[in-house]
Amino acid sequence: MPKRGCLGFSFPLLIVVLLAFLALFLLGFATGPLGKSILGNVGLPDWLSVSQPHPELPAEVVFHLFGFPITNSIVAAWITIVILVGFSFVVTRRLSIVPGRRQALLEFILGALLDFCQRIAGEKNGRRFFPIVATIFLLVAFNAWLSLLPGFGSILITNGEGESVHLLRAANTDINLPLALALMSFISVAYFGLRSLGFKYLGKFINVGQFLEGLRQLARGKLMAGLNAMFMGVINIFIGLVEALSEFVRIISFTLRLFGNMTAGEILLLMAVFLIPFLFALPFYGLELLVGFVQALIFSGLTLIFLTVAVTSHEHEETAQHQ
Amino acid sequence: MEGLAGLGISLPTLIAQVVNFVIFFGLLYLFAYKPILKMLDERSKRVKESMEQTEHIKEQVAHAEEETKKRIEAASKEGHEIVAQAVRTGEEVRQRAQQEAKGEGEALIARARVEIQHERDDAIDELRKEFADLTILAAEKVISRSLDKEAHRQLIDKVLSESPTLKKG
Repeated sequence: MPKRGCLGFSFPLLIVVLLAFLALFLLGFATGPLGKSILGNVGLPDWLSVSQPHPELPAEVVFHLFGFPITNSIVAAWITIVILVGFSFVVTRRLSIVPGRRQALLEFILGALLDFCQRIAGEKNGRRFFPIVATIFLLVAFNAWLSLLPGFGSILITNGEGESVHLLRAANTDINLPLALALMSFISVAYFGLRSLGFKYLGKFINVGQFLEGLRQLARGKLMAGLNAMFMGVINIFIGLVEALSEFVRIISFTLRLFGNMTAGEILLLMAVFLIPFLFALPFYGLELLVGFVQALIFSGLTLIFLTVAVTSHEHEETAQHQ
Repeated sequence: MEGLAGLGISLPTLIAQVVNFVIFFGLLYLFAYKPILKMLDERSKRVKESMEQTEHIKEQVAHAEEETKKRIEAASKEGHEIVAQAVRTGEEVRQRAQQEAKGEGEALIARARVEIQHERDDAIDELRKEFADLTILAAEKVISRSLDKEAHRQLIDKVLSESPTLKKG
């Protein structure tokens, strides 16, 4: 017998559910500013409507710890860290060769990330880069997803100065976290570059070899060749400076990309909820789930690529030139 | 600096987030990456090992099967041979027994015949002797005179030897 119905509901029930959704949506429409401007005030209670959000870029200070200001974004980051570390701790306390569900989940996530690293950076380097890349990915993704939970941006508390502030705020939308991540990414790139190439890595930025060679030729009296080499040397130095500059610009682009995307998403959700309080924001929540994943992937992926380039570029370039 | 503050950058929070990240990194490294990677490696090692083992066992099984087949073939061949030999041996034994029995029977018959002949000869001898004595006695009485006994006996023997019924052997 073919099963009648749709989405697991029988048709009558489906109609009832759809009607309930429609009623909820209409109620939301009527209470929101959009509906109010069209329909006028139809006498619905005040507590149903959402006050207009005033998103501010700086995170608010929730409390002070030993005189150190703790913002709501730091609290959110702590929650992410506690959840992830706690889960890992519980799972890895008892590992077995035949994994249970939780172990399989953790193994799947880390295995996928490791695979990602090894496919881009190669078998051995992928393994070296995996911890930093995975940490960035997990922190960004879970920060983003955590901030979609109810309670973020809606719980108000009074802090020490008597101001009313939000207890929680998506950590990615406070520019300090993206900046911190970008700095860590930059430091790890420099670290791995220095470690595997030594001073040759710095030679990419301070490229004075050819200029000095030109000076030496000039001293030997070869005027044309010397000047030529010095000219190329100046270009090389300039390229090195541009390379160095791009390293720092990278920090800014990393920071602003994540910060901008996540803040925009946050504001989008706030506005959607403000305009039509019920149901309307759901598609945007789905979108934000995806955006959080994509931003995490981009941040960690770019870090991975820069790491790979920092470790391998010199040898490759040189061999390419010799051929 | 006013612009940066407007964007939300503040040194304490930045430091806090960097510290957070480092702690997060360290804890995850300790509780997630190291054990999980070890586990993944071990599992892949085990899988590889067991695959190899399976391959090895498969080979062995195939080998053993072949060996068994060969042995069964050999055994059945041997069995056939043994049966054939047994049949042959049985046949031989039977024939020999038959022959022996036949020979024995013939020998028995021959001996019996010889014995019978002896008995007959003895009986004839006895009879002859008695008959001769009787004849002599009768003749003596008839002619009342004693003949030369030796001469008579010879005469009678001659007569008897001419007689077909009392002829010797």
